[in-house]
Amino acid sequence: MTTYVGARVPRVDSVDKVTGRAVYGVDVKLPGMLEGAVVRSPHAHARIVAIDTESAWRVPGVEAIVTGKDFPHLYGAAIQDQPYLAIDRVRYAGEAVVAVAATSQAAAQEAVRRIEVEYEPLPAVLDMRAALTEDAPLVHPDLHTYKRGTHEIVPHTNINTLYRLSKGDVEAGFAAADVVVEGEYSAQAVSHVALEVHVAVAQYEPGHGTYTLWVSTDRPFFLRSDIVNSLGLESSDVRLIVTEVGGSFGGKGVPVAEAIAIALARHTDGRPVRVELSREEDLVSSQHRVPAIMKLKTGVTRDGMITARTAEVIWDSGAYTAYTVGVAIRGSQTIVGPYRIPNIELLSRQVYTNKPITGSYRGYGTTQVTWACESHMDEIAAELGIDPVEFRLANAYEEGDVYVNGQIMHGVGVGETIERTSEEIGWGTIEREPEPHLRRGKGIATMLKPTMTPSSSNCVINIEQDGRVVVVGAAPEIGAGQDTVLAQMAADAIGVPLASVTVPDTDTAVSPYNGPVASSRTTYHMGNAILAAGTDLHDQIVDLAAETLGVPAGDLDMNDGIIYDGEGNPQMTLAALLGKYAGEGYSLTAAARFSTAGSPLLKADPGVEWISSIFWMFCTQAAEIEVDVETGVIRVLAVAAAADVGKAINPLTCEQQVEGGVIMGLSNGLFEDFYMRDGRIINGSLADYKVATIHDLPDITPILVESVHNEAPFGAKGIGEPAAAATPPAIANALYDALGIRIRDLPITPQKVLDALAAQ
Amino acid sequence: MTMQIKFQINGVMRQVDIAANTTLVEALRDDLDLTGTKEGCGVGECGTCVVVVDGEPVTSCLMLAADAAGKQVETVEGLAVDGELTRLQQAFVAMGAFQCGFCTPGMLMSATALLRRSPDPDVAEIKDVLGGVLCRCGAYPKIIDAIRSVAGEGL
Repeated sequence: MTTYVGARVPRVDSVDKVTGRAVYGVDVKLPGMLEGAVVRSPHAHARIVAIDTESAWRVPGVEAIVTGKDFPHLYGAAIQDQPYLAIDRVRYAGEAVVAVAATSQAAAQEAVRRIEVEYEPLPAVLDMRAALTEDAPLVHPDLHTYKRGTHEIVPHTNINTLYRLSKGDVEAGFAAADVVVEGEYSAQAVSHVALEVHVAVAQYEPGHGTYTLWVSTDRPFFLRSDIVNSLGLESSDVRLIVTEVGGSFGGKGVPVAEAIAIALARHTDGRPVRVELSREEDLVSSQHRVPAIMKLKTGVTRDGMITARTAEVIWDSGAYTAYTVGVAIRGSQTIVGPYRIPNIELLSRQVYTNKPITGSYRGYGTTQVTWACESHMDEIAAELGIDPVEFRLANAYEEGDVYVNGQIMHGVGVGETIERTSEEIGWGTIEREPEPHLRRGKGIATMLKPTMTPSSSNCVINIEQDGRVVVVGAAPEIGAGQDTVLAQMAADAIGVPLASVTVPDTDTAVSPYNGPVASSRTTYHMGNAILAAGTDLHDQIVDLAAETLGVPAGDLDMNDGIIYDGEGNPQMTLAALLGKYAGEGYSLTAAARFSTAGSPLLKADPGVEWISSIFWMFCTQAAEIEVDVETGVIRVLAVAAAADVGKAINPLTCEQQVEGGVIMGLSNGLFEDFYMRDGRIINGSLADYKVATIHDLPDITPILVESVHNEAPFGAKGIGEPAAAATPPAIANALYDALGIRIRDLPITPQKVLDALAAQ
Repeated sequence: MTMQIKFQINGVMRQVDIAANTTLVEALRDDLDLTGTKEGCGVGECGTCVVVVDGEPVTSCLMLAADAAGKQVETVEGLAVDGELTRLQQAFVAMGAFQCGFCTPGMLMSATALLRRSPDPDVAEIKDVLGGVLCRCGAYPKIIDAIRSVAGEGL
């Protein structure tokens, strides 16, 4: 019975967040806590000749000064290539070189000012195409010696990831085409700009060699793996206590402030050390979205059926790989879009450069490739003279279609997302010229997103003596409503009131394992674990009630905390049932593990099963824009945004994701960019790095499509990532509709619009 | 060099000994343990630290604590009285006007100051006042809905 699933209930974290009681990473304060500060490299590439800390040590309150040589470990998810603090050389401007812990932030900052580092500048590679050339300086000459996973690299070059995918016969496919369209597109680095900067508190236990960290992270167990793998520790030697997370968007999963705090804590004899990045450090030295250059070539028949596509993608990981290897592999695959393409060839290469680190960003590569794919789709439609909506619908996946690796796709609602957004935006109708200098246009873009597969979630659910329910699972609330939808599913699975369910913050010493709160996987994976454990608890309670009442268990049921007999007459409450055992005490617990490994839905062609995704998300956005031909300024008037969520566990939180995604996508598409001089970012502030404000808000209509997925909890898939990806190409396509100009490089700035108009 | 200042915080007179260059947000968070007010940039560019000083919304990272001496400072902790949320807080809850919640104190304090001055603000007025408070999660549509829902009804 579903009392709460599907209902628009207020979020369970509401009161804490509107009263200021929620405790974030920046709010953690411990007895004896020291404050950290960092000396960062001004050079993009340089050898560290000497570090002079003598004067810094004389600052009262300084307790530790640590360099890379004092803590010589390397970390990284796919390639262990990154030092906690630079060792011998720096590879980007902004890299941490020396860290200080002191009794006050002022003392730490004063010590940082007094530290002198002598550098010998080295030739830097600041462009991803240049990084591919034979005589390019090598960012990591020792790449081939690093510990790494099984993916392909090219030793003695800057290529840290090489990936190919092919299906069918592209030559035959192009031969069968009437028209071949080519285009090159690029997506820029952007920052996550979580309003809460990167922050961590670390404490070392000198006798045990173990660490405790207070962190604001979206993936505690992945972050812990990065740390223990690099330090040669066992998993449980590092304990992570997760706070509220003040925004993540994929950015709070790798050691950033954590790395500095750990290196310092190792040298403070057990005193905890807090490291909070400044906003400038957060913009420059945390991580960015991976920039990409994407070259597409697509063959189509005159009537609009796609016959073949080749795609060549270059990704720029920056100085270290972090989570970018997965982006370059997983992300690049979706450049085929949500379309039936019989013949495909993809080459994806990722290079090191002497630029800031990049990594996972909401969409894990799909925001970049969706930009290319969906701009390209409109260019093809224009070439053929076919309506962009009709062209997409004719090629869009349907239930039961075959993905590039042979997986049979299930839960495919992309067609409905295209139909409903185009209808909502009033496709084909427009007031072209509201004023002489203003032109309007409409555009559409769609996308697909797989989820990390296989992966697992575990939970333990405990029912307290008074009937209250505690759901323990390591799925931090990063703002997307995780706690709420998990509580709703737990309430219905067990049959208790939502108000009786709490989802405490994560502590890896208590919580069972969970994959990351990433890849839009939480509702599906943790939801399935909760559904299993909750159903178990429901049955345990009914059995206990039957025993207590002396009736057969089959006659009883429980809903909303009330136990009913076979005729639906209430018998007693759960609290009253447990109250009968108050003397001896009675605890009800259930645990469950859910993994997607081995699901029959993942069956695919031999050798490429790993590409299968347990579910596919689809998102379409149709935008109406107004562009000022005198200034080049684009104003987005309206966006109809549809997401195929499988089933909306909570329409309110789904709308939040869709609306927030559009605003982030608009911001990425129109405003955000980093400007560099000599390899140094020169706009490391929120005054100079513009993100969308409330003034940029278009009229957004969220549309939830429910293509119920058979193996999902209550049919629900995921939503968080895809919501942001379709906005930039929808805007670019609307710009083409308005003015006939095509911008292929993000962001779509007024200057680019004016230049394109001048060239027209 | 430290100095002693007194001001009213959420209706209660408080006294702190602080360095002369301590900002109001630092005094609130570090010296008075009122961590509901957040700091997102420290230089007045994000608006998460907005509090109300003598009725006006102020980015508390740009104001020296010493300049608040003798004034009435209101923070997010002072909105609800004995657990009873204000209408605006209730509207934020009901409409889902937050996601990660980090900007929420700044949004609430900005909107509270607005509603006292202009009890029935239109969307343009709301945007003017909230234009300096960033929300990266993009809760803007629901924040506007929440403020509009209490417009004309009092806080």
